[in-house]
Parts: sequence; structure tokens; C-alpha cells
Amino acid sequence: MSASPSPHTEVSRDPLEPTVLIEGAQTDQSLNDSLLNHVWRGAGRGWWMLFGVALSMLGLLIVAIGWTLYNGIGTWGNNIPVGWAFGIINFVWWIGIGHAGTLISAILLLLQQKWRTSINRFAEAMTLFAVICALLFPLLHTGRPWFAAYWLMPYPSVQGIWPQFKSPLTWDVFAVSTYFTISLLFWFLGLVPDLAALRDSSKSKTKRMIYGIFAMGWRGSGRHWAEYKWAYLLLAGLSTPLVLSVHTIVSFDFAVSVIPGWHTTIFPPYFVAGAVFSGFAMVATWMIPARHFLGLKHVVTVKHMENMCKVMLATGMMVSYGYIMEHFIAWYSGNPYEQGQFFKVRWFGPMAPIFWTMFTCNVVTPQLFWFKKVRTNMKMIWVMSLFINLGMWCERFNIVITSLHRDFIPSSWRNYAPTWVDFSLFIGTIGLFSTLFLLFLKFVPAVAVTEVKELRHEMEHDAHERDHGAEAHA
Amino acid sequence: MNFGPHPIHEEDTGFVPDRYVLAKFADSNALLEGTRKIREAGQKDLDTHTPYPVHGLEKALGLGRPLIPTIVLGGAIAGAFIAYSMIYFMNVLDWPMNIGNRPPHSPPANIPITFELAVLLAGTSSFFGFFTLARLPRPYHPVFQSEAFRAASIDGFFLSIKVPAGESTDKAAALMQAEGAVHVEIIEELER
Repeated sequence: MSASPSPHTEVSRDPLEPTVLIEGAQTDQSLNDSLLNHVWRGAGRGWWMLFGVALSMLGLLIVAIGWTLYNGIGTWGNNIPVGWAFGIINFVWWIGIGHAGTLISAILLLLQQKWRTSINRFAEAMTLFAVICALLFPLLHTGRPWFAAYWLMPYPSVQGIWPQFKSPLTWDVFAVSTYFTISLLFWFLGLVPDLAALRDSSKSKTKRMIYGIFAMGWRGSGRHWAEYKWAYLLLAGLSTPLVLSVHTIVSFDFAVSVIPGWHTTIFPPYFVAGAVFSGFAMVATWMIPARHFLGLKHVVTVKHMENMCKVMLATGMMVSYGYIMEHFIAWYSGNPYEQGQFFKVRWFGPMAPIFWTMFTCNVVTPQLFWFKKVRTNMKMIWVMSLFINLGMWCERFNIVITSLHRDFIPSSWRNYAPTWVDFSLFIGTIGLFSTLFLLFLKFVPAVAVTEVKELRHEMEHDAHERDHGAEAHA
Repeated sequence: MNFGPHPIHEEDTGFVPDRYVLAKFADSNALLEGTRKIREAGQKDLDTHTPYPVHGLEKALGLGRPLIPTIVLGGAIAGAFIAYSMIYFMNVLDWPMNIGNRPPHSPPANIPITFELAVLLAGTSSFFGFFTLARLPRPYHPVFQSEAFRAASIDGFFLSIKVPAGESTDKAAALMQAEGAVHVEIIEELER
């Protein structure tokens, strides 16, 4: 898994020279073969081992959900005043992880960042699975999920009552369900030409039929491409403000209330930056082993991983700025409850270890990404991505539990302890995510084959233009 | 593989097969040039089949402005309108609630859902609009009868011409040969 340093040791590289995003001499056929290979070859022992672990964690999730539904949410560690605990921590954590997928697929597309092409499919799949995991928590927290639609969605009921549209929780329902729907449509639309490539390169008739059904009869028609390009671009254009709005609205769940530690105007940008930060870390966690084991190193190059590290560094700094600003405003406001929350409870209170873990993982760790040696060392990035995932989970713990367990009146203070059900639900969703992701890696190309072919074509064209231009000048 | 003329059935089902002339070009530039010239020669019902979008093909095929942007704009406006009027109807007209003495109609609080529903309807109209315009899903199409056509999603660049019933396929095939197609075949739709 070690990175080859050769392309990075050249000292006098022209910064205007385009970077190599696809390594080696590739043709459409060779890209097609190498990028679809992991779908056609049988699952290896490593895949089955990981799948076994993921399935057992998924089993734990099913047990925990069953237990919660049978006994009620009293089996969770929630209490008064900590009415929102693991449920909302995990919800925000998973939604945040999903945001990197939309950022990579939509925002980087609009900014014409060509390096996104190799990782967007992967990250979009991650978005979908992360949002599924996230959605489980608010649904379970209602206690009776089969009534959830009945309480959350506006529909004419015999009670004649409607949702209260001034509540951020109602906005959240619309934001997250829109986010899931649009992410799914965007992902599937991008996948259709690749499914056609799978259909047409399949060896057996059964596989050809199955992929054929999902490929919707795609025949690469020029008339279709003309509309398709617009449909895809507009979905990207819509996803960009959508992803910003979703985490903004998630942060409103907190910021609109008056709890010290929640009532902060910096929350929307700080939540969005944190979401991208944790999402890129999760992409790195999965991408580093995947590019090694699925043979994707020629399209997901060291340069790609390096760029992702730079995004993590930038967003990590934004998150750090958020922490500094929260403390500054707590001091500057002169509000004793805010000051108590930040300078006493968070630093030295019973939950202080979580605060300091968060600080180490999110503020100190990304600083290592200033060094090129670190950004090009896959093992190092992988370990650091785990730290960032942990740090971002601790951040949400800090926001939710540390703020709630010490509010205004000491008589209402109460400590919080999660139960085995809380831990099982959290570990279980990691199992659900891993199961879905491993199935995705088995049955669907992990890299957007069509887009990589198009990129190769464009780069060939650009190189041709450059050579041609140089001749003309000479 | 050549699909010859269809054997005459004993009972007439009234089936008139669609006929296509399918040509493979060496690369995207050859396809672009060939398509442009064949269209300029007055040939109708052209379509190209490429593994990825090729810049300039819309022009070569003589396609007009894409319809998707208009459809998406319509979706966005409808979404915003539905959301705002829904909130207004429910919280102002049908069942006003006094929450902390805020006015029943409070525009800032309505913005998030108005935005989300605009995005939802714009996005779904982009997706479903595309599939409707493309008349997909259509798992079967006569061009799939060609074994060579399997390359169209991998690395092959194809041009197809639909030939109206009663007309000869020779003219279209000759045009394609003249424009440098590397492989030309006639496809006659099989009766299902």
C-alpha cells in the first residue's frame, strides 16, 4: 500500500503542466477492462471476511432495533435534561459523512475539478448509505416509526392538525428527505451509462439480462446524451445549494434553541465545514484499501489522495476556527451560562476527555497534512482519517450531551451514560453502512467508467492541442 | 453477423419491421465528420451511439436546444409555489397556531421548506424529464440485434440511420461507406 515517490520527487516541475490524473497509456478498452474487472471477478477471501464482520454488526443493529421497538426508547441512556443523546449525535455524524459525496460529485463538477471523476461514484454511494444510516435514528427516536410519517408529513388527517412550519425539526424532515431523493437520482443517472457498459461486457446471459434491466436500455444515443448532459449538470447544480442547506438546517435544530452551547450564529457554516471534513475522512478510510485491492491505482492516483488531504486540511482549519469563535463569543457575550459551558464544563467537566479528544483529532491531526510526506503516505492518511472520524463524532457528542447536561439551573443538571442499546445501534449502523458498501463494491463499478473515459478523451485532445500549438509557435 | 430479409410468415400479423443501417467509425473524430457530412447530404433520422458524450455531436446531428433546462425551471417554480402555498394554507388559513406570539405568516420561517421543495421538484423533473424525453426505459431496440453494437458502450463509435418502410437501404449504406465507416450492417427488426 506504500506510495511510490517517483512522480513527486521531481524538483523543477512546471506548475502549469497538467497533472497526470490517469496513469499509464490507457485506451477506452483498457479502462473498461480494468475498472469493471472487480465486478466480474469472484469475491475474494478478504471481501467475504469483511462482509462477515459487517453482517454480524448488522445483526447487532437488528437486535438493538428490535429491543428498542419492543421495550421503547427508555432502553436508551436519554434522560432529562439530556433528551437528545446518541440518536442525534449519530444522525448528525452520518449526515455529515454523506456530504463529502455531494461535494465531490456536485461542487467539484461545477468548479471543473477534473480529479473528481475518479472518486465521485464511490463518494456518492457513500452519501446514499450514510443518509440511510442517519435516517434510522430520528425514525427510531420517535419510538413508533410506523407512525413517523403520520406525525412528520403534512397530510389531511381526521384530527385536522398540521405540522408546525416554524420549527427547524419540520424543516429537517423536508431537507433530509429531499437530500436522500436527489442523491439517489443523481447517483443512478450517473450510473446508467456504466450499467450499459457492464451489460455489454458481461460474459453470461443472466448477468447481461440483470444489468440490462438496470441499464434502462441505454444505447449511448447522441440525442439522449444531448439531454442527459443537461439533466446531469442541473442535478449537480441543484445538489450544490442543497448540500449546504441540509447541514445548515441540521445546525438550526440546535442554533434556533436557547441552550448555552447551541445558541450560536456560527453553527451553519461550522456544521457544513465539519461535514465536509468528516466526509472526506470517510472517503479516505474506504478509498485507500479499495484502490489497492480493487486495482484502481491508475485512476485514483497518489495525486487524488493528496488533493483529498488538502481539502481535509482546509476544512479542518475552518472547524478549528469554529471552535475558537465559539469560545471567543462565549467570553465576549458576557453571558455567565455561555462562559460556564465553554470554559468550565467543556474543559474540565465530567465530559472533558471527549472535548480534548475532539480537539486533538480535529485541530491537531489535520495540521500534519501541511507536509507532503504525510499527504503521499497512504498508511499515514488512513490512520489520520480514522482519527478525524473519531474526532468528528466527539464533536457532536460535545455539542449535544455536554451542552445539555449542564444548562441554566444546577438543580436540573444530570449526568449521562449510554446503554448497551445506544452502543449497539451505533456499531450496528456502521455494520449497515459497511454491508451496503461492500455490496456496492461487488456489483457496481466503484469508479465512474464513462466519465473516466471521457476525461481520457479530453486530456488526449488537450495534449494534442498543446503539441499542435507548440509547433505553430516554433 | 448479417440479418437477411425476414422469411415470409404463413399468416400475416401486419408487422412492419423497422430497418436501420448501422455503421461503426474508427474514432470519435471520424464519427463527428461522417455524421456532419451525411446529415448535410440530406439524410434524415440519424443517431449516434457513443460510450461517452462527444463534444460537437449535437451540432453534427443538427439537434436544437435541449428541453431539460426549461423542464427543470418549471419544476423549481412549481416546487416553490406548492411549498409556500401549502405552508400558508396550513399555518395561516386552515389552522393558525400561536407559537410564542409569532405572526401566523412569518416569511423567513417559510424559506427553508420553500427552497427544499423547489430543489426536490426541480431534481425529480430533471431525472424523470430526461427518461421521458429519451423514451427510456426501453430494454429492446433493433440496434441491439447487432453483435458489433456491444462495443457502443465500451469503445465503439456508431452511427445509425433509420430507413423508412419501402425505401432501399442502399443509399444510406453507400453514404456511410463513402464517409469512411469501418463496418456497415443492415438491421431488420425481428418480430417478437
